[in-house]
Amino acid sequence: MRARAVIGSVVASAAVLVAGWQAGATVDAATVASGHAPGSRVGAEPRGTATASPASPTGVASPGAGVALPSPGSSAPGGGGTTGRPAGGAAAAPAPVAPPAPAGAVDGVYTGDLVDTVYGTVQVRVAISGGRITDVVPLKLTDKGSESARYSREAAPILRSEVLSNQSASFTSMSGATYTSGGYLSSVQSALDQAGF
Amino acid sequence: MTLTDRVPGLALEKRRARFARRSLASDVLITCLWASGAVAVALYLSSGSVGRTSSAAEIITTVGAICGLVGCNYILVMLVLAARIPLLDRTIGHEQAIAVHRTMGKPALYLLLAHAALLLTGYGMSAGVNPIAEIIPMLSIPDMPLAFIALGLMITVVVTSLVAVRRRFSYEAWHLIHLLSYVAVAFAIPHQLSVGGVLADSTWQRYYWIALYVIAFGTIAVFRFVVPVVSSVRHGITVAAISPVAPGVTSMFLRGRGLSALNAVGGQFFVWRFLTRKTWWHSHPITLSALPTDTVARITVRGLGDGSSRVLNVPVGTRVMIEGPYGLFTSATRIAPKVAFVAAGIGVTPIRAMLEQGEFGPGEATVLLRASQPDEAYLWDEIEQLATRRGAACYSLVGPRASGANSWMSVGDAQRGVTIESILPDLANTDLYLCGPGGWLDSISAAARAAGVPRHQIHSERFDW
Repeated sequence: MRARAVIGSVVASAAVLVAGWQAGATVDAATVASGHAPGSRVGAEPRGTATASPASPTGVASPGAGVALPSPGSSAPGGGGTTGRPAGGAAAAPAPVAPPAPAGAVDGVYTGDLVDTVYGTVQVRVAISGGRITDVVPLKLTDKGSESARYSREAAPILRSEVLSNQSASFTSMSGATYTSGGYLSSVQSALDQAGF
Repeated sequence: MTLTDRVPGLALEKRRARFARRSLASDVLITCLWASGAVAVALYLSSGSVGRTSSAAEIITTVGAICGLVGCNYILVMLVLAARIPLLDRTIGHEQAIAVHRTMGKPALYLLLAHAALLLTGYGMSAGVNPIAEIIPMLSIPDMPLAFIALGLMITVVVTSLVAVRRRFSYEAWHLIHLLSYVAVAFAIPHQLSVGGVLADSTWQRYYWIALYVIAFGTIAVFRFVVPVVSSVRHGITVAAISPVAPGVTSMFLRGRGLSALNAVGGQFFVWRFLTRKTWWHSHPITLSALPTDTVARITVRGLGDGSSRVLNVPVGTRVMIEGPYGLFTSATRIAPKVAFVAAGIGVTPIRAMLEQGEFGPGEATVLLRASQPDEAYLWDEIEQLATRRGAACYSLVGPRASGANSWMSVGDAQRGVTIESILPDLANTDLYLCGPGGWLDSISAAARAAGVPRHQIHSERFDW
């Protein structure tokens, strides 16, 4: 009878583990498909729309689409001016006017979508000047759980320099800060989309 | 005696069906117990982040988290096993449940240690520091100091339970330390919720863990606190009389109301708590040495440990709290047509009660009693009378222990050429109920196994005091 218990335990455990693994793979596939796959090369061009906040702009060409987000968790409410560096926490400047034509990026400061991750929401602002990405400023980084706040602090400068040197958000995620970088890059990409970059 | 017991074939059929049911239930329970660890892992995997781990640090961190989940899962299972749940007691028996509880202690602790070590390593690698240096930043995270304390407490609990270490402590001291495991489990909860975000975010995982915590702490609260208090109040048990049986051995009579409602059968024990100022905080598992009537129960104690000798001195009229009845060392586990009751030393007490219960026909039972010296023949007179009245044969083995494989009998009997088969000729068709000290039990069980008795026909209860 003990043999039956041993066999039962092994079979049941194996079945449960396989089911769990399978379910995890399904979740992974779903997040990849929705363009919100941190660490995945498939998601190298995240649209940032799947998990965007309801207040996020929807189009690239509609005037006023780049209006500053109310961004509830953000410390810098304004949409920024055209100076290239937003005055963090300063009074809201007039909303940047989105490019009338998609040909080439229009200089300005663009606020990316709010991106939800397991460890909290992420939002960045991208400055474009002379057709180049000149700065990325995090407005909100992952902070759910104290570890992830630390990761965010460490990851943000690295992510910023990668975006500046690659001149795009197509950069695979950072190990150890998968969620932060996934959310960061999604938000960057949505800002670039607004700029027609 | 019921009708079926008088019709041997029918009784046998019933016993076999009952045995099949019970072993199926016990196998299902054991399967659930082990598979619960796999469920903990599977729920973690199903949240979906694991397939995306790429760096060494992430893999180490993930494995570390899994170790923590499985370790915690088994700690909670251990609490359930120690909760004295009636269903568990009827299926695998309290003794077996505690035996499983004991074997799980060390592996569970290793998993928790691996959890701490791997996470310190993984976090350390991603921060570029060594695991020891990582302890300081970890301690600055809310809830983590408590988690470190929890691990320290758990180490203390397991180390004090190692056989070699436990001998250095009195039962009472060990038991107090052991209660720290509740504190350890409670202290570990906050960091699972805040730092191990998986518990808060993925719903199935959340429900599973909440359910497990509720079952573990709920069963302990109900079966170790509420039920004992209710049944103690209801039955109002007090010490009625104390009478010496032999030097160091005492019978205690307990008076109460409606004791038959407890449905205690011969061979079972209660956990007793004598409410005097010196003894209230210590509970004693003691077997009934006679079948209880509706108003009177009797236990017989040999005073060896500090606690049990103090129990012998409580005044008449002392109020008593009870938990029980517990134990599968009863006729409920009979499977063979014949039965032998074999006892050594103070191990006679459950045998005495089972004989009185008498679920066997004339000529079907044999009693075998073992004592090193004639003055250790506790309750033998009562047992001999009962055996005669029930038509059971009764033998005794008295004298210093024989050597080697015969150490379950006396030197004199070994020299006369006594064997287990010579005492119990129809051994293959006999249920053996063995009760006595550990070494003696091992010896006679081995002799019975060597003579071809199937394992499920050997029922043993260890009496080490």
